[in-house]
Amino acid sequence: MLSHFEPEHGAPKGEVRRDFLKKLAAASAAAWMASEPTRLFALPDGAKILNPQAKADSIIVLWMGGGMGAPDTFDPKRYEPFEVGKEVASVLSTFPAIQTNVDPIQISQGLENIAQVMDRATLVRSHVQPDLGSILHSRHQYHWHTGYVPPQTVACPHIGSWIARVLGPNNPVIPPFINIGQRLEGVGEQEELKAFTTAGFFGSEYGPMNLPYPEEAAVSVRPPKGMELSRFQNRHKFFKKLVDSNPNRDQMSDFQRDSMIRSIDGAYRLLESKERDAFDISLEPKESYDKYDTGRFGRGCLLARRLVEAGARYVEVTTEYVPFLHWDTHADGHTTLERMKKEIDRPIAQLILDLEASGLLNRTLVILASEFSRDMLMEGQPGSDAADQAEKVDRLMEMKHYGLHRHFTGGSSIVMWGGGVKKGFLYGKTAPERPCIAIENPLNVTDLHATLMHAMGISPKTVFEIEQRPFYVTEDGKGQPRMELFA
Amino acid sequence: MPISTKIHQRVRQLHIRQALLWLFAVTTLHAPVLAQEFDFAHRIVPILQKKCGECHAGKEKQGGYSINTRESTIEGGDSEKKILAKPIEESELIRRILSDNPDEQMPPEGERLSKEEVATLKEWLSLGAPWEPGYSFGAEEYAPPLKPRRPNLPPASDPTRTHPIDRFLDSYRADLKLPILPTIDDAAFVRRVYLDIIGLLPTPSEVTNYVKNPEPDKREKLVRELLNRNMDYAEHWLTFWNDLLRNDYSGTGFITGGRRQISGWLYNALVTNQPYDSMVRELIAPPTEESAGFGMGIRWRGTVSAGQTVEIQFAQNLGQSFLGINLKCASCHDSFTDRWKLTDSYGLAAIYANETLQIHRCDKPIGKEAKAAWLFPELGNIDAALPQKERLKQLADLMTHPDNGRFTRTMANRVWHRLMGHGIVHPTDAMETKPWNEDLLDFLGIEFSERKYDLKELIFLIATSDAYRTQVERIQERESQVEYRYAGPQAKRMTAEQFVDAVWQLTGAAPKAIDAPVSRGLPNDPANKEVGALQGNWIWAESATQPGGPAAGEKVVFRKKFSIQGEVTRSSGVITCDNSYILWINGNKVGEDGNWENIELFEPSKFLVQGENEIVALGGNGGNGPNPAALYIEMLVETEKGISRVATSTEWEVATGTPDNQGKLSGDQVKWRPATEAAGPWGGRLNGELQQSLSRGLSVGNKMARASLMKGDFLMRSLGRPNRDQVVTVRPTELTQLEAMDLSNGQTLADWLKQGGVLWHSLVQKAKADGKDEKQVIGQLYLQALCRLPTDAEWAAIDELVGQEIEAVEMEDILWAIVMLPEFQYVR
Repeated sequence: MLSHFEPEHGAPKGEVRRDFLKKLAAASAAAWMASEPTRLFALPDGAKILNPQAKADSIIVLWMGGGMGAPDTFDPKRYEPFEVGKEVASVLSTFPAIQTNVDPIQISQGLENIAQVMDRATLVRSHVQPDLGSILHSRHQYHWHTGYVPPQTVACPHIGSWIARVLGPNNPVIPPFINIGQRLEGVGEQEELKAFTTAGFFGSEYGPMNLPYPEEAAVSVRPPKGMELSRFQNRHKFFKKLVDSNPNRDQMSDFQRDSMIRSIDGAYRLLESKERDAFDISLEPKESYDKYDTGRFGRGCLLARRLVEAGARYVEVTTEYVPFLHWDTHADGHTTLERMKKEIDRPIAQLILDLEASGLLNRTLVILASEFSRDMLMEGQPGSDAADQAEKVDRLMEMKHYGLHRHFTGGSSIVMWGGGVKKGFLYGKTAPERPCIAIENPLNVTDLHATLMHAMGISPKTVFEIEQRPFYVTEDGKGQPRMELFA
Repeated sequence: MPISTKIHQRVRQLHIRQALLWLFAVTTLHAPVLAQEFDFAHRIVPILQKKCGECHAGKEKQGGYSINTRESTIEGGDSEKKILAKPIEESELIRRILSDNPDEQMPPEGERLSKEEVATLKEWLSLGAPWEPGYSFGAEEYAPPLKPRRPNLPPASDPTRTHPIDRFLDSYRADLKLPILPTIDDAAFVRRVYLDIIGLLPTPSEVTNYVKNPEPDKREKLVRELLNRNMDYAEHWLTFWNDLLRNDYSGTGFITGGRRQISGWLYNALVTNQPYDSMVRELIAPPTEESAGFGMGIRWRGTVSAGQTVEIQFAQNLGQSFLGINLKCASCHDSFTDRWKLTDSYGLAAIYANETLQIHRCDKPIGKEAKAAWLFPELGNIDAALPQKERLKQLADLMTHPDNGRFTRTMANRVWHRLMGHGIVHPTDAMETKPWNEDLLDFLGIEFSERKYDLKELIFLIATSDAYRTQVERIQERESQVEYRYAGPQAKRMTAEQFVDAVWQLTGAAPKAIDAPVSRGLPNDPANKEVGALQGNWIWAESATQPGGPAAGEKVVFRKKFSIQGEVTRSSGVITCDNSYILWINGNKVGEDGNWENIELFEPSKFLVQGENEIVALGGNGGNGPNPAALYIEMLVETEKGISRVATSTEWEVATGTPDNQGKLSGDQVKWRPATEAAGPWGGRLNGELQQSLSRGLSVGNKMARASLMKGDFLMRSLGRPNRDQVVTVRPTELTQLEAMDLSNGQTLADWLKQGGVLWHSLVQKAKADGKDEKQVIGQLYLQALCRLPTDAEWAAIDELVGQEIEAVEMEDILWAIVMLPEFQYVR
């Protein structure tokens, strides 16, 4: 099996274990000196950390922020149509199931386009979350995006930052971690969202490039508003002249000056490069644009596709988490989901088809996920003391009662395409009756991350030392990739 | 410390031991070797050191296996396999040494053990692994002393270099044969000391005045003057303290009420220069709720891991912030890297805990209860039987105990780091490691306590040394693994707040209002003697004299005309009303509030005009039945003609009705009549605060908002302002590409610079109108931003950019290029 592994990224192939041990010792000393995270290339027991061969070069996370109820999307259960007076306890799904192009996989009505690309997908119905007591979306989202449940003693990096830090960019001018669709100002729980939308202790170099509005993404790689490109370039030339003629340049430390100028030049390189067109979705042919244009999320999928084509490494597109909006249905869940499904169905299917057509799907892992599922009755999971947060009724009296209004952490769905995962594959199972917990092959966040990292060619034991502590890409280095999911 | 140095130390130590052992050796008879006679030092130490030490000695503990002590050597590490096995061939140590399996053999690479060496080890193990008592392969690990110490002051190397810091450094340099470093010029010094002490760029005239000043003690005077700029000092150092104490105006935890700010308390502590020991006492054992937020930590909704409960956060934050001790490892298990144990962390945590605290190892209870205990019992301990409040007081006393040298050294080192760019212990949270100059650190620590923990005196001490005004060290490479040697101060990257403040200074783009819930300015600022006693009365309409007071919900309009002569230089106003008010000056709404206990400070100058002015307030009573109601307003307006005062009195007029949104009350029915003085409890409760606020308002005047008082926005976060969920004491030292993008095309900076371009362009036009050389304005910009004029080469580049006529956009581009210069973004 050794041929399946390649040496550390950035480490010459010939290096032997002893050198890694030396490095480890030196690295610890250096980390200590510099107070910066230092990558360790061996485990505390001396074993070299072996990275798997990458199956994908890029990853797109389609984030259904707010808690996407599996019974109404990818794990349909017994359907009960709305009827005044109907017992709430009798309802598991508020949509009927539809057939996909893979027998016997059925998903929920409203996802007809996605149903036609299920033959390229691995559907996991047994994703599980820890019981954190009282439910706070952003806390589960923090966990999902960093692998660690907050609070932590150090600022945990987002998985996008891990990938950016370990793999670097695919194309040097495209920032390796791009985050589409989530506003971080002016929305509820914004501080909690910011807490994980960050490179944490890796430092802002590995942080996200945030593009909350896909249609405005082009602006972020253009000169500031009202500045012609010629003036923008002229200004940079002028700056370079000032740097070159600076009388104090000899008093500056070379590395400080050089690294600063390198960064500024790098920024200009992107802002002047042809790749910046990838950020401009208005350049997409109209026919194709229209296929994606179901709303901000759909346009985000289009932007993600263009960025991956241009060499982006990690792209996340979200339906956006805003408390009580979108997937976070505390009332009127059924009606809201009709809209949500319209928003995601066509663009996701189109994204898969387009990536497939361009041949990129083989080397791009697309994963759709959410921080937990939902249920009509059960808050948290069996045994949880999570408090109820939605209006409680025993019988459906109005349409607003009809929907999955409780946060369920015992079993949710994930869909994956490309990046070496199996095609038309169903994995895991939830109970047919309430509580609909995962009863087969439960997959927790730690192992899911190990699986994603495996696909990207990163060992789940990848470790950095920060503040004298080894800090692993999967919690305490314990993540095990679920090999059954790979073709 | 580099490993080679460590080994040298070990060898040296060993030589002494060997000499002692030799004395014993000559007296022994040739007989079967007994365990107590086995020559451990000669026969075993070299083998273990050479073949195992690199991975299993000192801090190294591969596979959890350490040969530091006999105990750890025979315990066998994580595998718990037997080292002292019988027969000896089954010893894991011997098995691994002899193994040919590449995954198991020891050492894994390099020369294997010789037959003789293996035989020696076997013999040693068969005797039960005798050890030299007290010997440890990790023995030379540095253990910082607890007690403070006054080191001997070395003689001055030169009669002009008598400052104690320079005497320590000169002696250090002489030992290492390092050269004395060149001094920076006056202008560069001014820029450095302004940015370091008050976080602002000096104005061109401040630079010129200093350069021209011939006084020999002008340096000390300038440092003192800057330290005396109480507000500027406080609002700069607030950044450092907010990072250190994990305080912010927004962030995680506030949403569920799981976190509390200490902003108001902290601001006051800094602006009044509260002694550090007293600050820490109030943080540990809060006398009021104002300083309780530090100890409370962040409480997340739902369950959290045992290593992050608020009690454990308390232990961790306390250790890190005040002692530079990392208890994060020891919050989960005994630390692998230093002396701290799980029980130490839990001991501190239990001081804070209100209920029994179960010790958890790696999140699993071990069935023991934590007992409140202090880290250094040499200084005394905590009486675990006392209630929490008393325990915290004991802890506060122990932390600030005069014999706790680690407390003072930790802060002295942090301040040194802020001013000199590199800690004497570095990084500053690693106070378990050896300083590069123990004497210097001990000196600073003991001076700090003897100067009554006065932070400004500590800064004064450092900033008046020659060391502080020497040229920055040129570092060729990023932090290397070579042992640090002091070679002058290091250039410091501006903090996000310094950068933003500096840009605001250059562009006038600072926001009008601050985010931090603090009252800016110094309470009872001696510079504001003119405030004196309050002169207003609490007033209402006639209904004030009714039994029980005015009716609930009654609304009264108040007004007063007054005149202002001359240009307003400073002004301040306070208002409060039982129960609510809206305030207008000259038809402009100034503010409103509905809580009778709140005092609002406002700055009248921006609403005032020369000549006649009118102030109008709508007061409203609350409650369910008749109850006392009153309004209080007092304004101080200073013009070049002196101070005038406008305060509520019976000379004000009242009327009934509802004013429009400009405060106008119209209609024929309106009848203005004199106001009535209202009797009530307000004055006794609020007068002191009103007076302080008024004084503060005068101090604040039209001072620029400071970035340290704003919530962290994207630009500041991008430039390294941390999410203050954890204590963070180190900011990033380099500019990254994403940051460079934010600075190159981000809208925030672009908008500020645009405003700046217009501002500087107006100065260009003014110069032109006055018949002056327009380019002088660019010279002024250079002076303000970099404390120097452009060189010929820079002028050439500027000329090429601006051509014949200087446009506003060109000034904007010049501004951008200047603020992007490494010379600008580093405090040199």
